[in-house]
Amino acid sequence: MNKWKKKQTAPIKHFKRPTLAGDGIGGRAWFFLSRAVTNIRQNIFVNIVTIGTITLALLIVSLFLLVFVNLESAAENWSERVQVTVYFDKDLSLQDQAVFRKKISAISGVSRVNYVTRDEALRRFKSRLRGQETLLEGVRAEVLPTSFEIALKRTHRDTAAVENFVSALKRIPGISEVQYGEEWVRRFNAFLNFMRLLGALLGGFLVIAVIFIVSNTIKLTIYSRRDELEVMSLVGATRFFIQAPFLLEGLIQGVAGSALSVVLLFGLYEGFLQNAGSFLTFNPAASGLCFLPQEYIAGLLLAGAVLGFIGSLTSLKRFITV
Amino acid sequence: MIQLHNVSLAYQQDASALNNITLKIGKGEFIFLTGPSGAGKTSLLRLLYGALTPNRGEVLIDGQNISHLTASQIPMLRRSIGVVFQDFKLLQNRSVFENVAITLEVQGWGRVDIGKKTMHILKQMGIESKYNFVTQRLSGGEQQRVALARALVNDPKILLADEPTGNLDDANKNQILNIFKEANIRGTTVIVATHDRRLIEQSHKRLVTLNKGEIVEQMEKEADSADQAL
Repeated sequence: MNKWKKKQTAPIKHFKRPTLAGDGIGGRAWFFLSRAVTNIRQNIFVNIVTIGTITLALLIVSLFLLVFVNLESAAENWSERVQVTVYFDKDLSLQDQAVFRKKISAISGVSRVNYVTRDEALRRFKSRLRGQETLLEGVRAEVLPTSFEIALKRTHRDTAAVENFVSALKRIPGISEVQYGEEWVRRFNAFLNFMRLLGALLGGFLVIAVIFIVSNTIKLTIYSRRDELEVMSLVGATRFFIQAPFLLEGLIQGVAGSALSVVLLFGLYEGFLQNAGSFLTFNPAASGLCFLPQEYIAGLLLAGAVLGFIGSLTSLKRFITV
Repeated sequence: MIQLHNVSLAYQQDASALNNITLKIGKGEFIFLTGPSGAGKTSLLRLLYGALTPNRGEVLIDGQNISHLTASQIPMLRRSIGVVFQDFKLLQNRSVFENVAITLEVQGWGRVDIGKKTMHILKQMGIESKYNFVTQRLSGGEQQRVALARALVNDPKILLADEPTGNLDDANKNQILNIFKEANIRGTTVIVATHDRRLIEQSHKRLVTLNKGEIVEQMEKEADSADQAL
């Protein structure tokens, strides 16, 4: 056998090339869509790079969102501790309890009012000093005050709202001693505001970086096919005809990238829940960690689509001369 | 068909690519543009297919001033003009068929007609057996014929060719010249920019010589024997 035999020129792997299927909007839309899909298959490497970039970029954003959402919900839980307590020296009769309860509830921002009797106060005191019960020898329920514990609505837990609430509370005749952990509320709210600011800043930077990276990747994709754009415009294609398949391609890349990033994020989240218990002091599965809410997922998918579409549109503007 | 009136073109303020060109090309004419490199041949062709607009003067094609065309009208102009480039400008990762069919696709032809017309022109060019090959596997002459097929598949009114035989051997040059002549016989106005003297001498067609952006010489068509022989 002649090993120098000239290698046969093999015909290319044939992709079925879409052609205009028919008239009307439906026919044209179908043509552009099938053309976009064929383009993706013919430029598979470039498309994998683009989709991979979008996936990674959005994965970083969605990881950040996931952490942020969980911190927010943790903060919500902590803010349950913002509670105002009104102390009384004496036991209140049922009638007095009802009167005070009604007056307190009339102030806006109250979510729950709970009367704590002396016996209940003693029981709590004991449970807090468990193991050191000897300290409580001689302490009887009569020395402890009775109180109303007032939980506030979410919207009324910031420092100013709590102070307003307390001053309104003090105007009720018969109420003099009010405690609400002033310092704690102030610090907690300062921390919360700081966290939100930090989140917004970091998130903002991340989003800008992602837009920059994705739009540049798409620009490179389109740059690598500028010959095609040029040839199409030279043979008389309208701007819309040239753009439509590329825009659809961008849209498909964006949606595929964002969908992949959500799937990857879910995998990471599940992996963390399964494995983190072994190195964390708490069990993450039981600690109320949650995945991104549906509206955030929808937002991510939409963001991917918009990124792909706008990225393609702005890049195309640069390369189409028609 | 094509008229240029006092057309001047400058890419930068100081250097003018074309200077006060006035030229009339009739319908169905075959004309060679020649001159040294940088004489303005390519610029003149680019004016004709609307890739450039003149700084001064008017370019009329079928009575239409192309400086006044809107962005959406330029594609319509280009559909009536076939252009062949020295570097072919073929899509390297696409098949021969796809490269030619693109002209018809952008104009909204139906699938069946695209197939028929494309195969017909490939047959005329003698490359129908390679319709499914990627163009980068073809020889220079074959690639040039694909480029010609793409320009001619639509039966354009005007064919513009920029150094179409630049990289080809004599046999291929003759084939390409014959294709131009056949298109011209079918009624297409053909304008070929070249500095290949042999090509010009062989074909006995009208000749416009450019130098430094100006027309320095015009020779009318000789009573040619080559056309008779074709």
